[in-house]
Amino acid sequence: MKGNSNLEKELVDFIMNNKDDFYRLAYGYVKNSSDAIDILQDSIQKAISSKNNLKKEQSLKSWFYRIVINTSLDFLRKQKRVVVVDEETIQSYSSGINDHYTNIDLERSLEALPPKYKSVIILRYFEDLKIEEVAEILQESPNTIKTRLYKALELLRIKMN
Amino acid sequence: MDKKLEKLRSDYKNVPLPNNLDEIVRNAIHRSKSRRRFPMKSIAGLTAAAIFVLSLNTSPTFAKSLSNFPVLRNVVKVLTFTEYTVNEPTYKANIKVPAVSNLKNKDLEQSLNQKYLKENQKLYDEFKKEISSLEKKSGGHLGVDSGYEVKTDNENILSIERYVVNTVASSSTTMKFDTIDKKKEILLSLPILFKDNSYIDIINKNIKEQMINQMNQDESKIYWIPEANLDYSIDPFVSITENQNFYINKDYKLVISFDKYEVAPGYMGVVEFIIPTNILTNILVGNHYIK
Repeated sequence: MKGNSNLEKELVDFIMNNKDDFYRLAYGYVKNSSDAIDILQDSIQKAISSKNNLKKEQSLKSWFYRIVINTSLDFLRKQKRVVVVDEETIQSYSSGINDHYTNIDLERSLEALPPKYKSVIILRYFEDLKIEEVAEILQESPNTIKTRLYKALELLRIKMN
Repeated sequence: MDKKLEKLRSDYKNVPLPNNLDEIVRNAIHRSKSRRRFPMKSIAGLTAAAIFVLSLNTSPTFAKSLSNFPVLRNVVKVLTFTEYTVNEPTYKANIKVPAVSNLKNKDLEQSLNQKYLKENQKLYDEFKKEISSLEKKSGGHLGVDSGYEVKTDNENILSIERYVVNTVASSSTTMKFDTIDKKKEILLSLPILFKDNSYIDIINKNIKEQMINQMNQDESKIYWIPEANLDYSIDPFVSITENQNFYINKDYKLVISFDKYEVAPGYMGVVEFIIPTNILTNILVGNHYIK
């Protein structure tokens, strides 16, 4: 068993070293900077106050990822946000010269995925985690993750065409 | 890696970081550490105890209602007998217990109602147990939603569906059905409906055909059968059980039901197959229930 202060130091170092990844992960769900910061702060607080529940065999990484994801999903659930964009806003995105229509389509299609599909895509392909690690984070079997990944890719491809 | 995926990935990776992220994170860590001086454990325990609201609607009018409505006296029906609810930000439970009433066969009525009550009490107890074990860890999310739906209620049959939706990280759904012959007042089962066990193979064959047809027509559908050519290993659907979930729908057709994850990936949800009556006529005991 690690001592309490050792564990805390390890956790703090870990958070400091990976803060950019965690911010991006939260941003990937909520798509806005101030909400992503809130989520990161909440997640840090949850992690530090419950660090003693971290099981020995569990990796710090997958444990913290899970906290960030659950906090993000909770936030989205509370928000149930509807994205309403008026004509003017759309115009303001369009610079005329460097139109990025395809980018918007791509982003939207990832946005349009239900959270559970989005999570597997982010963790597997953006965070480069192994199937087993994704399974541990999402608390599902590796087979379920594979099924989901398969379906998520299929959904993305359909919508991108 | 796929080009489109590559693009999504770079968009994700290139999200601009706030300038003061380092400071934000340091502050958050600092605040979290100083907060621990409070006796967190006992406070958490107190709120947890105060939060569980159990509203038990044991309706005292339930028994009376039978005699109060003379018109309904002879009509077998289903009512909500009692409800359990937990309503707290990360823990939600909504459990409705059905009860059948007005059966002359009181043994059947009682055994059904006791089964319903027991099932749901167990569900509720397990839910509470899970919450307290979660509380001991880092806390978490749990939800359970259980209730019933009358699938068919005609002069001959009453089919009741009971569902349980468990939500942890994702959700799973379990269904159970009871179909009652209202005239004879007996509980129907697949073995009662058919002359012999040959119904299993006949129904299996039909379901597999339906699965293949659906997959051919709609690419987004996947069933776990060898014909789906899946590139991952999973136990394929082989056969229904002798007492597979079933009900008889309003059109007197036999409907076979599979729980979420039973024969297909989770996004397919609960799946049902209506079995065409013409392939069953030779093996049915009579044409009373299924037409």
